[in-house]
Amino acid sequence: MFELGKKDGSEAGNENSSQSGDQWPDTQDQSSHAAASAASQGVAAIGRSIRINGDLEGEEDLRIDGEVNGTVRLKKNAVIIGSDGKIRADVYAKSVAVEGAVEGDLFGAEQVSIRRSATVKGNITAPRVSLEDGAHFKGSIEMDPEAVKAALGDAAIASASSKQSQPAAKPTPIAASKVNGDASHAEEPIHAAKG
Amino acid sequence: MIGSLARSFSREEPAAPEPFNAPLFRSLIERIPEDERWVVLDLGAVCPRVISLFGGHRCRLDIADVGLGLAALERPLESPDLRKAAEALLPELHAEAADLVLCWDTLNYLNRDALTALMARIHDRCRPGTLVHALICYSDSQMPVEPGHYVPQDDGSLVNATDCNEQRDAPRYSPEDLTLCMQGYSIDRAMLLSNGMQEFLFRL
Repeated sequence: MFELGKKDGSEAGNENSSQSGDQWPDTQDQSSHAAASAASQGVAAIGRSIRINGDLEGEEDLRIDGEVNGTVRLKKNAVIIGSDGKIRADVYAKSVAVEGAVEGDLFGAEQVSIRRSATVKGNITAPRVSLEDGAHFKGSIEMDPEAVKAALGDAAIASASSKQSQPAAKPTPIAASKVNGDASHAEEPIHAAKG
Repeated sequence: MIGSLARSFSREEPAAPEPFNAPLFRSLIERIPEDERWVVLDLGAVCPRVISLFGGHRCRLDIADVGLGLAALERPLESPDLRKAAEALLPELHAEAADLVLCWDTLNYLNRDALTALMARIHDRCRPGTLVHALICYSDSQMPVEPGHYVPQDDGSLVNATDCNEQRDAPRYSPEDLTLCMQGYSIDRAMLLSNGMQEFLFRL
């Protein structure tokens, strides 16, 4: 029988959820400190003044406080879109957390978290979806495990059921990520991850 | 002493909105099969409890949040433009039809032309047998100026979490009005609720 509030081990609908990747910095941080905070935690960051038109790929966690138009593919890693981040892109990642504005589809092999400050127009496909009260969302949320598996592959289900913690991110520079397209910046450099 | 304590308690946060029973909504969610895929179209704003409600089941949840764009339907428009405006309020069209549509109290905020246009667009996204749940202002002549934010509770009741005190006239659509405006839908069941709203379950 259908059970109200049933979460089936997921964190879907947790209004006060503070999870979605312990590796992320505090979501309430001022955006001016967020990139530095991300860097100090071994997360690559795209600063507020950075605008990227094109595809972005890589193998490290990434925080985006700037603008990205294109596609973001970090299938084995976490992506956080900071409160100043503006994304017009489809995002493929192990986990996606959104505090800023997204127009595009979000694919999370493990989970997608929409924070209260977020505005998302697009579709979400993930085995676990959490959304905070106050967030704006228009689109579809695919929560059918079979449909998620079809969209994301077996990795989605495997990673969702695995509780193994991820090793700490290595202090790698942003160069480890690949940008196909134009990257422009005004006054703020891309913050290389630092250990 | 007791009096001052009572006064201090009375100055605390305003009381949380009372849940109300919505038997048709409860029966609706109770009948969602665990092992079948369902597509749910929610006309309201995204609500963590609704995601929680359908999470863990084989569901796709389409969030329309039409409240943000209702003003676009209030202007007098020619039919083609009204159709376009109604279509723009809905999420992108998927190949898969909706099995369930949650209107909450949105229909009260549409004039007859807009109601007809929006429900026709929704009809295009449904299949024969799709169920449509709606709450219609019935007893009260006034209603809040903005659509409610309905939060399902664990026991199947609903809470309207909107703190909007400003009121406007309610259209008080009768079942006949709704049947006229909603071509292709038939009333499956209707119940008058304790809060003065009439709960409807339509079927395509």
